[in-house]
Amino acid sequence: MSEDTVTDRDQTKNRYHYDRHAPEYRFQFEEITQELHEKCPVAWSDTYGGHWVASSSEAVFDLARCPHVSNDHDVNGERRGYQGITIPAKPVPIRAGILEMDPPEHRTYRGVLNPYLSPAAVKRWEPFINEVVRASIDEKIESGQMDFVDDLANIAPAVVTLAMLGIPLKEWPIYSEPTHALLYTPEDSPEMARVLEGNQQMAMALFAHIAEIRDNPRPGIIDGLVKLHVDGQPAPDMEILGMLTLLIGGGFDTTTALTAHSLEWLGENPDQRERLIRERDTLLDPATEEFLRFYTPAPGDGRTFSEDVEIDGTQFKEGERLYISWAMANRDASVFPEPNKIILDRKGNRHYGFGLGIHRCIGSNVGRTVFKAMLSAALDRLPDYRCDPEGTVHYETIGVIQGMRHLPATFPPGPRLGPGLDETLDKLQKICDEQELARPITERKAAAQID
Amino acid sequence: MKVRVDPQRCQGHTLCAMIAPDAFALSDLDGTSSAVCEVVPADQEELVREAARSCPEQAILIEESTNGSSEVTIGQEKTRETTA
Repeated sequence: MSEDTVTDRDQTKNRYHYDRHAPEYRFQFEEITQELHEKCPVAWSDTYGGHWVASSSEAVFDLARCPHVSNDHDVNGERRGYQGITIPAKPVPIRAGILEMDPPEHRTYRGVLNPYLSPAAVKRWEPFINEVVRASIDEKIESGQMDFVDDLANIAPAVVTLAMLGIPLKEWPIYSEPTHALLYTPEDSPEMARVLEGNQQMAMALFAHIAEIRDNPRPGIIDGLVKLHVDGQPAPDMEILGMLTLLIGGGFDTTTALTAHSLEWLGENPDQRERLIRERDTLLDPATEEFLRFYTPAPGDGRTFSEDVEIDGTQFKEGERLYISWAMANRDASVFPEPNKIILDRKGNRHYGFGLGIHRCIGSNVGRTVFKAMLSAALDRLPDYRCDPEGTVHYETIGVIQGMRHLPATFPPGPRLGPGLDETLDKLQKICDEQELARPITERKAAAQID
Repeated sequence: MKVRVDPQRCQGHTLCAMIAPDAFALSDLDGTSSAVCEVVPADQEELVREAARSCPEQAILIEESTNGSSEVTIGQEKTRETTA
């Protein structure tokens, strides 16, 4: 296909400058979304080497489920050189686990994770999760102040993810800070070198755990992955590392982001907070889905067209890049009336907060459960909290994760209910080991017994 | 009214079982959904309709019957009308 033909194609017709990594994007998100929905729900942007942008619910629905759209990240140049889900491409030669695989490989690896992360599997962890949240709040409740990001929302997602992987709980800070920092530090920041070093150390620690668990098996997702054989060979360590960094990145920052944003909004809307406290039995589920729709912590993913294909009247060529925006589709007024308003009991909320199609977030059940535990505990124990807008820090850019770095809050001091975090994690580690909580649902059905 | 979940489309988002827990059962292994009973009890009909509207994958098929004719919808889209 010649260059001339390319310029005549839909790219020219639907051209729109779209830069989701620009700091101003965060403030213009609703305006840009509305404009794209009205003018070109499938747009071509010249940014980052050129890529399509799908923003409407219909376009996202059709493209995310299209068999001619690939997630493959061909890091070793063995296939067609596709660059996976990151636009612009990351220079790191490692695949983001199943999120950068196509079937049938995708199915093979995802199949290992399912029995650890299904709704029934996650339900077993509820008492464990509640105990981590209880201890996080106990650390601060007597002082009358805490940072909802650092002291609450960062902790339970990290601890629970490590527990499920089979990594010692007390190691959570090794993984937590570098994971969040990688997402909030701008690429050109002088801090980036230090952040990358932290991530390097994290990768080395994960390699050590992979080797250790291969030699001395202990329950958890790492054990499941080291036992996986692909085409008769054990799954390569680099692929296992990619899976683990995906699960850690996906398991930590997204739930933190959702929780912090929800607590911030409830702080700004005390009438809605009171209503949620009052009607929690019926309102917690729909409110969770509404926060997922509105805040969409993971706002979208890149893809590559693997065939020439025409979809909904637009022609795409093999090799062209595509950005699928869950966040913008979640504001489509044709599906969600008053899309820019949080309606806690919204009906027909078919949001794409966890993505869509075969790559639907595998950790969705963990994310929801941990979010609900943290939100419920905050509403129960700190019902009159006030956030401090002066100290609140949002991520500078929201191109990868729509997150928050700090959300300081004050509240009337209250009594502790039990031991602090370190003592609690020691106790939970023993429980984890003795009850083998990290086994898959196929091997262990019973819920965690705390005390 | 009849309901079924298309296993080719369902990806285990679990919203249906959250909205209509008596009408949909989730696989322990991967969270994919199936209808507890194809024929929906009268008191479940509205919840099942809401579950179908809320399915991100539009994987829930509903067949409404009135006076011998039936209408099939997948999620929010009407697909076909048949007359028995």
